[in-house]
Amino acid sequence: MLFCYVALAPVLALFFYVRIIPIGFSFLLSFYKWNLISPRRPFVGWDNYLGLLDDENFLLALKNTTIYSFSTVLLSTVLALPLAVFLSRKSRLSAFYQTVYFLPVITPLVPVSIAWKWIYDYNYGILNYGLSFLGIKSVAWLTDPDIALWALVIMGVWKVLGYNLVLFLVGIRNISGELLEAASIDGASDWQRFWRITLPLLKPILLYVLVTSTIAAYNVFTQVYVMTLGSQSAPGQAVRMLVFDIYTNGFQFFRMGYASAEAVILTLIVLGLTVIQFAMVREDKVKEG
Amino acid sequence: MTNPTAANLGRRSALTLAGSAGIAAAATGSRKANAADVTLAIWTGYPELVPWYQAMGAEYTKAKGTKITVLSTTLREHEQKLAAAVPTGTGPDVFDVGQILAIKFIEGGLIKPNPTAVDGLLKSGAYRKTSIEQFTVEGKTYGLPQLFSTPAMFWNKALFKEAGLSGPPNTFQEKMAFAKKLVKFDASGKMTRSGMSLRLSGQGSGIAEKFRFILEPAGGTLIKPNGKGKFSQGYDNDAGRNALKYYIDAVQIEKVDDPKVQHDAGAFVAGNTAMLMREAWVIGEIKEKNPTLDYGVAPIPAWGTGPHKTLLQHNGLWVNAKSKNIDAAYDFQLFLAGKESMVKLTQTSGWVAARADLDWTPLLKEIPQYKEFVNPTEGMQFYPEPVMAAWDEIESRLADKLPGAYVDASLQDPAKLAAFIKAAAAQTDQILKQNDLYGT
Repeated sequence: MLFCYVALAPVLALFFYVRIIPIGFSFLLSFYKWNLISPRRPFVGWDNYLGLLDDENFLLALKNTTIYSFSTVLLSTVLALPLAVFLSRKSRLSAFYQTVYFLPVITPLVPVSIAWKWIYDYNYGILNYGLSFLGIKSVAWLTDPDIALWALVIMGVWKVLGYNLVLFLVGIRNISGELLEAASIDGASDWQRFWRITLPLLKPILLYVLVTSTIAAYNVFTQVYVMTLGSQSAPGQAVRMLVFDIYTNGFQFFRMGYASAEAVILTLIVLGLTVIQFAMVREDKVKEG
Repeated sequence: MTNPTAANLGRRSALTLAGSAGIAAAATGSRKANAADVTLAIWTGYPELVPWYQAMGAEYTKAKGTKITVLSTTLREHEQKLAAAVPTGTGPDVFDVGQILAIKFIEGGLIKPNPTAVDGLLKSGAYRKTSIEQFTVEGKTYGLPQLFSTPAMFWNKALFKEAGLSGPPNTFQEKMAFAKKLVKFDASGKMTRSGMSLRLSGQGSGIAEKFRFILEPAGGTLIKPNGKGKFSQGYDNDAGRNALKYYIDAVQIEKVDDPKVQHDAGAFVAGNTAMLMREAWVIGEIKEKNPTLDYGVAPIPAWGTGPHKTLLQHNGLWVNAKSKNIDAAYDFQLFLAGKESMVKLTQTSGWVAARADLDWTPLLKEIPQYKEFVNPTEGMQFYPEPVMAAWDEIESRLADKLPGAYVDASLQDPAKLAAFIKAAAAQTDQILKQNDLYGT
């Protein structure tokens, strides 16, 4: 046992150094006013947090991030689940489709975001070109303030769908075939087998998907940064997200204390949502017990 | 002129700066550091300046033996790297950056007052009075001006000829009328070429900076000084409302520009817009990507019978106070600021060098379009970028609001437009208050 602790010590020390200390420092910093460069760092108490309550950019970012997160998590889960059920059936093309769906997950986000910027281009984008065959007029995906956020949601779903799909697929393949076979013998339809057996047994995986997807969605940044760069891009306010706002305050305006307060709020939100989701698992276990 | 941020310098910083002035002066007296074993690290946020740095570095190595390394990143990354590296003593020896960030280093004692030799060059008559003022804080000079950046108006001669127009517009009102003749639509009513390219979308301070191109000639300003080191917003007035109305008219009423079409230098180079207000670097873009483009460069139009006005921005060349080879760094800074070096800077990068005593004749003979940038029109009034740490936030926060306003049909109602300007101006005042810079 002692050996285990000793062996883990270097990794834990590293984790403490690169994770815990910076998090603790950020929390401390949220009570100071500091521009990163100046040696002066006056203590301002709760001022940074109180300032956030009146900050329309922060409130807008919070609203946009919440809309983005709930939409992305909901759509990517709802789409991944039936796809996983479909691909779990033995088929020659199953592996091929799994690869296709998983490709966006492993593709680096910056080039992907640039590619999507082109896909969404009003004049030359392939999306509008495709829609033109259906008689749909060109859509200003990025430059229309009412649509830009949804353009990011579409990209977000595309990016995360394959990851959720693979997790569901693993869960489905771990469900005992005997249970499904028994249900079939009892006359259960495909829908009934899915609803009464597959879905309940997938609940732990479903909750894992929801937790990780929500955390990832609340931390969205790269695609926002890329898609608002330059004159031919999304209006900043339309797609302002929390991490982008933190980045702007911290590394553009050098308001490190204020940005730290925002980061603390973001952590609390994600932590709160995670606790709720874990509580749901516990509640389930209690019922089962 | 006393720099606006002077009032923000704390006593501790002032003492640090004053103390370090003497050390810097003493340091530059020595040339011991210019030995073959010294390597100076140069960081730039302008990748297009790298060939110039490398060429001048090679010449300097040949003459003095000191080696030069150049690191280039995008401007935003460059600023972040400097902010993290300079205070921790891991930064470069010499770096270029705008004054908005440099003032934070000056306030933090991370850029020292110029030693005698550098101060002497700055005040030798080689630079414009405006440039010297911009590099002076509390009576002491810091750094050297490197780039002298002013926008002017690029106009496509071929498109003007096609529209029956003989020359560029002199006023913004003429510009709108000309743009109506220059804009093109396809059979479905989709804009294929804008009459003028305004900055309508995206994010960042550049949007507000371009808004100022019209606001300032119209008689407004983003912030106005009270003469006692404090400021307040200067656009909740007719000028601010007229400038915003101009944008809204261009997009929604006259339909001479549209956020959906190609914009900026790319659009002008490709012939997808007839007029663009931008800096000299666009000449380099045209030379590289469409050298046969027939274009001219005119002054930024006036507002009605008002004067011609244009923005003046400087990029500076600074020595890191924590440099281990500070005397060699100052020496290299002076070498880079030499006449021959500055001419080469413009030739290789397209940016206009900040020295005012350069002979531009060979350059103008080769590329006459530079004239408006190197010898601006007589009577041109410059409005400089205020040197204050909060400036980027002031511009960026206004920039957050503008793209939505440009396409908001409800702002065609003068009362709603006025309310929008009022709210934006209140935010500007709020930022000034947060930074203890507000005063009327």
